[in-house]
Amino acid sequence: MKAASFPLARGKRRDYSPLMKCRFACLLASVVILSSCEEKKEIAVTETRAATTRDVAPKLFATSDERFRDAKPSPVQGDTPQGWLSLPASQFRLLNYRFGESGKGEVWVSLVQGSVLDNVNRWLKEFGGEPVDQAGLEKLRTVTLAGATGIFVTAEGVYKGAMGASPKPGSALAGVVASVGGQILTVKMVGPKAEVDAAKPVLESYIKSLRMAE
Amino acid sequence: MDSSDTPIYSKAPRSIPGKIFDVLSGFGLATCTLLLLGLLTWFATLEQIDNGLYPTLTKYFAWQSLFLLPEINGKTVPLPLPGGYWVSAVLLLNLILGGVIRIRKGWKHAGNLISHFGIIFMLIGGGVAHHFSERGNMAVGQGDSSNAAEDYFEYVVEVTEIKDGKAGNVKVIRGKDIEDLDGAAARIFRMPDMPFDLELTGFHKNAVPVSANERAPDRQQFIADGYFLMEKPKLAKAEEAERYTAGIYGRILKRDGSKSAPFILAGASFHPFSYRVDDRIFTVDMRKRLWPMPFTLKLDKFTAAFHPGTMRPSKFVSEVTRLESGGEAKVTVQMNEPMRYEGYTFFQASYGPPGAGPRDKMYSVFEVVKNPADKWPEYSLWIVAFGMAVTFLIKLFSFLAGGSRKKRHV
Repeated sequence: MKAASFPLARGKRRDYSPLMKCRFACLLASVVILSSCEEKKEIAVTETRAATTRDVAPKLFATSDERFRDAKPSPVQGDTPQGWLSLPASQFRLLNYRFGESGKGEVWVSLVQGSVLDNVNRWLKEFGGEPVDQAGLEKLRTVTLAGATGIFVTAEGVYKGAMGASPKPGSALAGVVASVGGQILTVKMVGPKAEVDAAKPVLESYIKSLRMAE
Repeated sequence: MDSSDTPIYSKAPRSIPGKIFDVLSGFGLATCTLLLLGLLTWFATLEQIDNGLYPTLTKYFAWQSLFLLPEINGKTVPLPLPGGYWVSAVLLLNLILGGVIRIRKGWKHAGNLISHFGIIFMLIGGGVAHHFSERGNMAVGQGDSSNAAEDYFEYVVEVTEIKDGKAGNVKVIRGKDIEDLDGAAARIFRMPDMPFDLELTGFHKNAVPVSANERAPDRQQFIADGYFLMEKPKLAKAEEAERYTAGIYGRILKRDGSKSAPFILAGASFHPFSYRVDDRIFTVDMRKRLWPMPFTLKLDKFTAAFHPGTMRPSKFVSEVTRLESGGEAKVTVQMNEPMRYEGYTFFQASYGPPGAGPRDKMYSVFEVVKNPADKWPEYSLWIVAFGMAVTFLIKLFSFLAGGSRKKRHV
C-alpha cells in the first residue's frame, strides 16, 4: 500500500509511513481531548426561557429562614427530641423530622381530611394490613394527643406510602390519629423497623409535648 | 418470518463464524428474544403500578440495565431477566442477519422483506426514543393550570428580572455547567445583559439547607446566613435520583468588581434569593429545569378507582382542557391512553398527594415526553401491514394461478 504524501513548503512531497500517520493522529486526538478536558473558569450564559405558570409572583427578599422553612406559623407545636433533625415544613407536613442512624427514619405531623377510622385504615393499607371496623378501632391502644384521645397505630412490613415511591421492605410504622377540635391531627413515624422500635419511647414523649398553637 | 426463510445449507461442515452467524440469524434466537420481551413487558406493566412509570421504565428498558429481578406486590421474583434494551438490540441484530441478509430473495419474498424492514424500523425507533427523547413531568392540581413540564433529574440555576411583581425572561444555567463544581471548584457565569455576573461553587447533588443553630456542621461545611448544605444519604436505586434535591453556594459579582455575601441556592427551598441593583430587582433560584409548553393544560377533574380492599389503582383518569391561542379542547388522559399534541406526549403517570385522604384536593402527574421518533412505531406498523398484505396477495395469486394451471392439465 502506498503511503499518503503531504505537500511541503518548498514544493517537495514527503512520504509518511502508516506508523507516522498514526502518531500524527494520536497527537491531534490528544490535543483535542486535553483541550476539551480543560476546566472552564467562566461561561457566558446564553440560554433563556419564557416565564411560565410556575413563575408567578415570587416572594421577594425572603430571609433564609423563610426560604428554607415554611414561614407559615405551624398550628401545632412540639419539643424536638434530642437526636432528631428538624426539616423544613411542607404543604402536607406541619412539623417534619428525620431520625435514626440510617437517615431514613421520618416523623411528621399533619392535619388531614377524613375520619379517625379512615386514616387508621389508610395507614394500615400502606403496610398491606387488613382494615379495621369501628369495633376494631375501639380495641386499639389510646394515648393523649394535644388534649384529645388519639388512636395509637403500629404496623410493620413492606411500606408502600404512595404511587411512584418504591416499596420499602423491613419498615415499621408507629403513630397517632386523633380528632382535635374537629380536625384530624396525625403524628406518623415511618422507618426501618429496628430504628422505629428503638425510637418508640422518644415518640411517645414527643406526642405528649405536642400542643395546638394559640 | 415463515418457513420459506430457511436457508439452503451446504453439506460441508460450517466454520465457527458460520455457526455463530447461524445462531445469530436463527429462528431460535428470534423466538427467545420475543418471549423475553413479552415477559419483560408483562412484569414491567405489573411493577409500574406500585413503583411508578419512570422508575419501572428505567429498570426494565434503560441501556444501563443489563439484568434485573422483577418485583410483584413488593416481593422480588427470583427470575433474573436481561434488560429490555439489550434484548431488543439482539432482536434487531437477529432480524438484520436473518430477516434481511439470510432470507431468500426474490419477488415471492418481497412481502416478508418489507415486514422485516418494518420491525427493524420499529426497533431503531425505540433506540432513537431511548437516546434522544426528553422526559419530564407535569403536576397539576384539580382546577389549576400549568404550561411547563419539569425535568426528572436536572437541577439548573435561574436568574430572572422581576418587573411589577412578575418574572420576565429567565436566564438558565444548565446542570452540565454546575455539576462538576464540587468542593472548592468555582465558576463565573457571565451575563452581559444583566448588571452583574454570578459565581457558583460547592455543588451538592443531594443536600438540604440546615440551620447551623439547630445542628452543627458535621463536615466543616461553609455557613451562609446561618445555614449550611447538609448532604443527604444516597438512595439505593439510581432511578430514585428523581427525589434528590441539589444545592450550591452562590455570590453576586457586581460590575464595580465587588462581591456580595455568599448565599445558598437549593432545590429544597420555598423562595428564591433576591437581589437589588439600583431600582431593578432580580431573583436567583435553583430548581429542576422547566420546559415551557406551547399550550396550557387545565385539570378539570381527576378520578382514581382502586381494586376492592387495596391501594392498588384499577384506573385513574384525568379530564383536562388544553388551552391554546384562545381556543380550547377537552381531552381525557388515562393509563395507556396518552394525549399526543405538537410533538409532546402526555402519559398519566401518578397522582397525589401521597396517602391522600378521602376529601383531600388531588393533583395529577403526567409524564411528558418529547420524542423525535414518536410516530415511528405507527409508520413501522403500516410498513409491516403492507408487507404482510403483499405476502398474502402473492400467495393468493400463486394459489389461483396454480389452480388454473391444474385445470388446464385436466
